[in-house]
Amino acid sequence: MKAPRLHPSSGGAAYWALGWLALVAAVGLLAPWLPLPYSATAPDLANIAAPPTWHGPAPHYAGTDPLGRDVLAGLVAGSRQLLLLSLPATALATALGALSGGAAGYWGNHGLRLPGWAGLLGLAAAWWGLRPPLLVGLGVALPLAVLLVRYWRRGWAVPLDGLVLGASTLLGTVPRLLLVLAFAAGPPLGTGWLLVLLVLLAWPDMARLVRTQMRQVRTLPYVEAARAAGLPTGRVWWHHALPAASQPLRAFAPLTLAALIGLESTLAFLGIGYSEATVSWGQLLGELRQAPGAWWLVAGPGTLLLATLVALQSLARRSEV
Amino acid sequence: MPALAEQLPRLRLVSDSLLELDYQLRPQAKWDNGQPVLAADIVFTLKLLYCPGLPNERARTEMGFIKDCRTDPADPRHLTLICQGQAPEYQWAASDFPVLPESALDSAHTLRAVSLPELRRGAAASPAVAAFVARYRQANVGRYPAHLPGCGPYRLADWQTNRVLRFERKSEWWADKLSAPPFVLQAHPRQLQFLIIPDATAAALALRRHELDVLPQVPAPLFKQLQQSETRQELAFYTTTSYNVVTVGFNTERPTLRDKYTRRALGQLLDPAALAQATQQVPGLRTASILPPTSPYYNDSLPLPAYNPGQAAALLRRAGWQRQADGHWYRAAQPTPLALDLRYRSDDAMLSTVGLQLQQAAAQLGIAVTLWPTEGTLLAQTLQAGNFDAYVKMTKGSPFVLNFSPLLHSQAIGAGNLTRFSNPASDRLLDAIGVEGRPARKRQLLRQFQRLLRDEAPLVPLFMLPNRLVADRRLRHITPSGLKPGYVAAAMTWAANTAAGR
Repeated sequence: MKAPRLHPSSGGAAYWALGWLALVAAVGLLAPWLPLPYSATAPDLANIAAPPTWHGPAPHYAGTDPLGRDVLAGLVAGSRQLLLLSLPATALATALGALSGGAAGYWGNHGLRLPGWAGLLGLAAAWWGLRPPLLVGLGVALPLAVLLVRYWRRGWAVPLDGLVLGASTLLGTVPRLLLVLAFAAGPPLGTGWLLVLLVLLAWPDMARLVRTQMRQVRTLPYVEAARAAGLPTGRVWWHHALPAASQPLRAFAPLTLAALIGLESTLAFLGIGYSEATVSWGQLLGELRQAPGAWWLVAGPGTLLLATLVALQSLARRSEV
Repeated sequence: MPALAEQLPRLRLVSDSLLELDYQLRPQAKWDNGQPVLAADIVFTLKLLYCPGLPNERARTEMGFIKDCRTDPADPRHLTLICQGQAPEYQWAASDFPVLPESALDSAHTLRAVSLPELRRGAAASPAVAAFVARYRQANVGRYPAHLPGCGPYRLADWQTNRVLRFERKSEWWADKLSAPPFVLQAHPRQLQFLIIPDATAAALALRRHELDVLPQVPAPLFKQLQQSETRQELAFYTTTSYNVVTVGFNTERPTLRDKYTRRALGQLLDPAALAQATQQVPGLRTASILPPTSPYYNDSLPLPAYNPGQAAALLRRAGWQRQADGHWYRAAQPTPLALDLRYRSDDAMLSTVGLQLQQAAAQLGIAVTLWPTEGTLLAQTLQAGNFDAYVKMTKGSPFVLNFSPLLHSQAIGAGNLTRFSNPASDRLLDAIGVEGRPARKRQLLRQFQRLLRDEAPLVPLFMLPNRLVADRRLRHITPSGLKPGYVAAAMTWAANTAAGR
């Protein structure tokens, strides 16, 4: 993710925020090589839900959870989980949102036309993919093929705007947490599927934002001038329109990252989609239910989570739009 | 059923391999529809165990020793069960099933045309039986049990899946008219409500707020917390020994786990001593078998299982595994390295700790263990279907029943035999234990079986799980027990002894 530029007047808070996020990122990156006395998932059966200790041959500096796992190692593993899950999810959602929203805003429902043969190609691909029963397939495909031949010369307008708005509205109408719960309520999903799920949830807002911006940008004189100069449409879109239309994402991406960290922590807190082999800050907080008196389970993960979310909010507020 | 009988059955040995149990049903016993409970209802229920397509696999394995059933034409309440073998515990085990009313489920008496031995031999495929099974399934009594007349003191008033079960006391119940009803035929509460709270901490909070009266199976850390809480004066704490064992089971049909040395090696990576101390916070719970050390049938010559990674590596080599340069274990004809998926119930911290300990110990030896915490119902289905490598769960036992066939007999594969363990010597031993009537010989056979179990290691016992119960102090005369509640003969005997002792 590209670091935002800061206003000269933004003061020290944004630099503190950047510094904190850089520290979290560094800890996450270097997690496998840090000289920690315990692994994040190894239970110390002699110290179950033990408070922080600084004595002994291998002390637990931040205590242990009710499963005997070292909290300090868990905090480091949580930073890494953030780098492996929330950050890539935000990056992918930003890219997907920018591309889909940018295309929808630039070409609308009629601007992008595919040649006639593309329709036939699509029909063939659908047949191959679905492999319908012969009679049913012919019943559907033949009328479609007649239409395709009829529109062969004019080509096909792709309703990009309708597709993107429809998909984003559909995903936006279902509350995020409910959607995630529905997907993740079964056995643990694994990092890959959680990533896909978070991207699916985060891209619609990005797409809507870029689409709105793009509808203004496409009418600006310099874009009109580029088109009048005869530059290819794709090049005008990619080099001139999209960078300008994606400007709001600089402020929105940190907010999305904060939202995804919050969502991921909520899921981990509820123990949904996770196994004990994956440690995250939310999961450590969730262990508090097993040991309500273990203040160290709130202090460490809670502070880190709060500081990271505040830093991201601060960064978003002070970013140049 | 035993509550319906006037007393525990009279035993009569027939030749050297059969046992007859003679029951006399109480004349007062009635179904809710006013019909009397008769021997025909018992016979009908036993026949249901052998009808295909009904959820009867487990009960069929448990009651498989009942060969036939004889009714008395002169007395419709007189019944004789004929059992294969002469085990004395049959007098408790033989009646351990709920009775269903024939008049409500089979008013046309379709099943009377087929005898119990015929059904056992496989006459179940007859059109009459198939038609009856179809009708039974259509009635869907599993989901709507209230449609079925019962003969107990309570009726189901509310059932919300995974939330609540509420029973209300019937205003008129046949046992109320008994002059001196036994302990198990006394039902005083006007209502029994079972609240299903998956999270133990939330359940404890409900108890402290007096929203619950009794909280069973309390995890050790929570038990300790409640004992130290401010509300401890309002609560009563009970700990009793149980026959429940925390076990790790291996799917013996998996190619990697088919040989006993691999299973034994993986068993050596578990640390029962540390796990018992960490999760139960009391020493002395370890066992070498699925029986507790206090049982007279326990094989005390077996060493307690212990964490021994060196021995585990040696056993793996004996099983043909070789550790390669990448640190993993490979064997001829098996291209993938030795790895394990471990399943357990997701809402139990004790089981999670066992999983993490095994994962950590196995990782040090180059074996990847993937943890699969799974929701309870889904876990039961997964284990029964055999879609797992290993599991960790609590195996329930009883001091009165020594029949391990439902757990480990090859005929119980797909039902209670989750490890899918199949071994002719083990089957022979289990059959012999089931029918043996002489205590000394039975003890000898059970010791042999425990040794075989230790050698084959389809199950690795970790430690006994004490039965912890916390109740509101307003409740008086609580006598906690680890036995399955209900009208089973074992519970009746226990309750009668307890009541006499008090």
